[in-house]
Amino acid sequence: MVKSIIKIFSILLFITFCTRAQSIINSKHNLSVSGPGTIKASSESEICIFCHTPHNSSPQKPLWNRQDPASNYTLYTSTTTDVTIGQPDGSSVLCLSCHDGTIALGNVLSRTTPIQMTGGVTTMPPGNTNLTKDISNDHPVSFIYNSTLVTVDGQLKDPVSLTGPVKLENQKMQCISCHDPHQNVFNDFLVASNEYSILCQYCHDRTYWSSSSHNLSNSTWNGSGTDPWPHTEFTSVSRNACENCHNPHNADGKKRLRNYQQEENNCYNCHNSNVAAKNIQTQFAKLYKHNVAGYLEVHDPEEPGIVLTKHVECEDCHNSHASNNQTASPPDVNGFLIGVKGVNTNGTPVIISQYEYEVCYRCHADSPDKPGSPTVRQIAQNNVRLEFDLGNPSFHPVEGAGVNPNVPSLISPLTVSSKIYCSDCHASDGTNSPAGPHGSIYPQILKMQYLKLDNTPESAAAYALCYSCHNRNTILNSNGSFGQNVHRKHIVGEDTPCNACHDPHGISSSQGNTTNNTHLINFNTAIVQPDNQGRLRFEDSGTFHGRCYLICHGESHNPKSY
Amino acid sequence: MKKQTLLISMCLFGIGQIIFAQTGITGSAHDFSGQGWGTTEICEPCHTPHNSDASIQNAPLWNHQSTTTVFTLYSSSTLNTTTLTQPDASSKLCLSCHDGTVALENFGGTTGGTHFITGGNNLGTSLADDHPVSFTYNTALSTADGGLFDPATHITSLGGTINNDLLIGGKLQCASCHDVHNSYNNASLLKIGNNASVLCLTCHNK
Repeated sequence: MVKSIIKIFSILLFITFCTRAQSIINSKHNLSVSGPGTIKASSESEICIFCHTPHNSSPQKPLWNRQDPASNYTLYTSTTTDVTIGQPDGSSVLCLSCHDGTIALGNVLSRTTPIQMTGGVTTMPPGNTNLTKDISNDHPVSFIYNSTLVTVDGQLKDPVSLTGPVKLENQKMQCISCHDPHQNVFNDFLVASNEYSILCQYCHDRTYWSSSSHNLSNSTWNGSGTDPWPHTEFTSVSRNACENCHNPHNADGKKRLRNYQQEENNCYNCHNSNVAAKNIQTQFAKLYKHNVAGYLEVHDPEEPGIVLTKHVECEDCHNSHASNNQTASPPDVNGFLIGVKGVNTNGTPVIISQYEYEVCYRCHADSPDKPGSPTVRQIAQNNVRLEFDLGNPSFHPVEGAGVNPNVPSLISPLTVSSKIYCSDCHASDGTNSPAGPHGSIYPQILKMQYLKLDNTPESAAAYALCYSCHNRNTILNSNGSFGQNVHRKHIVGEDTPCNACHDPHGISSSQGNTTNNTHLINFNTAIVQPDNQGRLRFEDSGTFHGRCYLICHGESHNPKSY
Repeated sequence: MKKQTLLISMCLFGIGQIIFAQTGITGSAHDFSGQGWGTTEICEPCHTPHNSDASIQNAPLWNHQSTTTVFTLYSSSTLNTTTLTQPDASSKLCLSCHDGTVALENFGGTTGGTHFITGGNNLGTSLADDHPVSFTYNTALSTADGGLFDPATHITSLGGTINNDLLIGGKLQCASCHDVHNSYNNASLLKIGNNASVLCLTCHNK
């Protein structure tokens, strides 16, 4: 009778256990016959036994009841990892004794024969929970996380701050730092919710993150195309935070645990107008573009400031931990370019670009693998840093205001004191296109049409790019003989493109001078040739006055003056 | 009619269970009377009514030679107790057979026995791979650990608190989990059957 009461009491107690909200009993880690998951025992009723035994455990702590998987894992590696990552040790080994998929789930030390699982399951079935022996696509574990690492890395919080749910094990980050195998309160047995990436940020402390759009944006997915957040239950950019781009386990892009190995795909699922307002992805389908799809894992965050091997990825220009939509005035970087490397006006790499042109100079200045110049000129130069130098005889005002005090064609509010961005000319075409030189139907990723071939009939459209700042009427009709005899005569009368005489970036002071190369004069030698005395030059003779020695369209200028 | 038959059958089955269940030490794993060594008495390997060894704290009329082993203890970075000591009180008595250093028949003054405990029941002299025993399990420990129930208030399936039902002098001992006399007829002489890990989860709030 007493025994019967005890039995009833036991059952009642068991029921109360089962109804506990935060218990292993109602989690997938209850592998016993009473477990709620699909992976469970056929008849074994004990729950703890799948991991623990009260006697003769191995490894001894925490009274482990499973075989030790061999230490032959392929480990995480990346150029930005500042710590030695060894084979998994400590409690992480215990997790992997199921989660590497090599040891049968029911294979426990305290049973002479393996516990039978339903559905013929033996080892962990393939899928997200089976990390395999290749853990190079998983967040590293079993490394010492101390103040030394914090100092070296610079993007981590001091582990003394880990007084909350995230814990280290003997100074090491282990699986249990993020996961509590006994409680599945926050999904994936996480020790804290990762909404807004709170869990990640117990350790990770990214510069700029607090003001980044990827941290702050409340944008949601419109349901079209690929789900941008396949591995979380969160429904906005800010709620996904780190997981917008990163995946802590089984990441397709192993280095830095990117959601996708193909770098730009990490951006496209939002920046295709399905989450973000502007469609960047379509810009890259255009003929002329920064061809991010053409390179795979060439870019590296640790690459030299001056790019040595030609490539381009979104992250060459954008810091996804920093970017926001703050505006700026030339030449300062705007929010989209915050926190990216550059090369300054002296050719010195800088960790953080202050000016937009510094971002461009990484590839278009001193890089040994920089793109060539599209135009053959009397003075050849494809180092744009040298072309825009403020000491040059003439230049478009990118680094600072220009040298010419008389530019009557400028359309208000532009003045001779104005500065412009590289991206004022080099940008996606189309009125509602996103800013920046992503892709264009025009060569050199120009924002508007800029025809360069000789014998181009003048029109507003032919030189739309130039005319967007320089008033067409002023260019062609004003200033007496200058407008009529120089610009109108050549551009309209001779169908000569602007590009025949003007080098739009500038002429380096190391090659040109203030007599021959003011007003961006650097002849296109495919159109303009030396005269019969071998002379090919322009001479500045004062405001709106000059003379040229050359042959063009068969006409000898020896010289022709205005 | 059928219902009545069923009811009677069930009652008979229930009574049979109570009468014929193997409750008690007789016939249990701790009944050595038929082993052919030492004695045909059941209690004698452990107890004597007279001249018992009282050197061990609370030793219940102890008759068996005691172990002198200095044990290797369990340790872990997540162990919050600060009172874990060498096995004491009744746990030391258990280990007088279960550490494998004292012969089973070394009782009543006999020494030099040749039968030793074998297999998984032999815990050896290292308890590093065994659940710790002989530590104080109180409210303070459960608070510090965060993964244990409060022994002063949590009710076990035996009906009382952990403190009353399972602890001995406020300590967890071998006898907290095991009933050496098999009063409950559970596998491994457990006090509370471990079906659905109920025994483990009596203390562990997981």
